[in-house]
Amino acid sequence: MKLKTLTISHIRLISLYWSRFAVRSGSGLVYLLIALIFGLSMAHILIMPVEQLISRQKRDMGKTDPQVINQTIIDIGRPIIQFLFGQKTLEEIGQESMARQGGFGDKDGTSPNAAGGAKKDTALDPWSTFLLEKRPALLSAIFLLLLFGMPFAISFLGYNQVSGDIQSHGLRYLLLRTERSNIYFGRFLGTVIFSTVVMAIIVVTITFYLGMKTRIYPAGALTLWAFHGFLALSILMVPYIAICSLISASVDSPFLSLILAKVVIAGVLIMGLVGRLAWKPAKYVLYALPWGWQSNLLHFQPARCLLAAVGCFVYAGFILFLGYYHFERRDL
Amino acid sequence: MSEEKRPGGLTALAVINFVFSGWGFLSLLGLAAFFAFIGVIPTEELQEPQRTQFEAFKNMGVPLFVFIFALTLISSVLLLLSGIGYLKQKKFLGRTLGNIYAVIAIVSSVVSGMMFPSELGGGFNIGSIIGLIYPVVTLILLNTTFRDDLTN
Repeated sequence: MKLKTLTISHIRLISLYWSRFAVRSGSGLVYLLIALIFGLSMAHILIMPVEQLISRQKRDMGKTDPQVINQTIIDIGRPIIQFLFGQKTLEEIGQESMARQGGFGDKDGTSPNAAGGAKKDTALDPWSTFLLEKRPALLSAIFLLLLFGMPFAISFLGYNQVSGDIQSHGLRYLLLRTERSNIYFGRFLGTVIFSTVVMAIIVVTITFYLGMKTRIYPAGALTLWAFHGFLALSILMVPYIAICSLISASVDSPFLSLILAKVVIAGVLIMGLVGRLAWKPAKYVLYALPWGWQSNLLHFQPARCLLAAVGCFVYAGFILFLGYYHFERRDL
Repeated sequence: MSEEKRPGGLTALAVINFVFSGWGFLSLLGLAAFFAFIGVIPTEELQEPQRTQFEAFKNMGVPLFVFIFALTLISSVLLLLSGIGYLKQKKFLGRTLGNIYAVIAIVSSVVSGMMFPSELGGGFNIGSIIGLIYPVVTLILLNTTFRDDLTN
C-alpha cells in the first residue's frame, strides 16, 4: 500500500477536473439526464393526484380543504412506506388499492379515508407518522422513492472511473505526473462531487415547485426537510459510487464495468428480496450493501439517522480500500 | 477537428437526439391516425379522466392540431439533423441547428403550457419541467462544454 503518496493538491486537481470532465465523457451526461428525468417523474407521479384534487376542490367548492388534501397525501404515501419498510408486499398493496377503488377519482373531490368512510387498515407506526404527519409528507414519499431508485442510476456515472483508461493504457501517461492513489481517490471524489450536484438540482427543483405551486407546506419546514433529504441522498450515493470504483479498478472494459456494477447493485437487492421468500435469513444479504438500512437516513430518531450516515461512510471506506488495494497492484 | 477526437458526451448527445427524433416521428404517425379515426372511437367504456381528455382532443380544432403536428415535425427533423451534425462535428448542422432545436423546444413548451387546456397537458406542472430538461441541457452543453468541438 502506498497511501503515503496521497497528495491533497493532486487529489483536488484530479477530482475537480473529473467532475467537469464527466459530462464531456458521456457518462455524466447520461447520468444527469436519467437522474433528472427519474427524480422529477417520481415527484410528478406523487404530486399530480394532489394537484388534481386541489384544482377539483377549487372548481367545485371555491376553496381547498387542507384536511382532505392531507389525508389524500397520506393515502398516497402510506403504501410507498409500507412497501419500502417491508411491512407489506406489492401484491398486498395492490389488493388494498383495488379494494379502495375510485378513491382519488371521486367526483366530490374527497379521498376514500377522509370521506367519512374512514376505513384505516392499519395504524401508522411512529416512523411513518413522523414521515407523513410531522414532516412534509409529499417530500417524504418522494425522498423514499429516490432513496430506493437512485442507486440503480448511479452506476451510469461511476462505471468508467479508471477502466477505460486501463483498457487504452492512457493511465501510463498520467502516472508520469502523479501516483495511482491520487488518480483513484481523486476520480472517486470527482464522481461524488458530480453526483452531489445532480442531487442538489433535483431536490431544489422539487422543493421549489412544491413551495411555489402547491403551497401546502410552510416554507421553513419544506426547506429544512429538503436539506435533510438532500444530505440523505448525497450520502447514500457514496457507498454505491465506491462499488463502482472497485469494479472499475478491477476490469479493463468500461462496458463490462457498467454491467457488473448494475448486476452487483441490483443483484444484492433481488437476492435479498426474492431469497427471503424461500429462506427467511436470506434477507440479511441486503446488508451486504446499504439496501438493508438505507431508509434509516430518514429516521425520526437523529441518532439512527447519524448512525446510518456513518454506516454509509464506513461501507464506502471499506469498499474503496478494497478497490485501491487491487488498483495499486494491478498491471496497467 | 478530426472525428477521432469527438468526445463521448457528444456521441451520447447524438444518440439521444436520434432516439427522441424517432420518438417524434412515431408520435406524428400516432397523432395523424388518432385524428383520422377520432370520430369512430367508442368512448362509452372510457373512465371519466380519459373521456375528458378524449373530448378535449376532439374539440381541439384544426389550427391547434396543425400547430402541434408542425411543431413535432420541425423538432423531430431538427433533432435528426443536429444529431448527424454532432457526429460529424459540424458547426452549422450540429451547433446552429442544435441551438435552434433547443430554443424552439423551450418556447413551444412555454407556449403549449399557456395555450393548451389542462386536459391536454396545458398549464404549468412538474411534467412541463421534465419536458424542458433535454432542450435546456442541450442549449447549455452546446454553448459551453462542446463549444469548441463543433467547428467543421
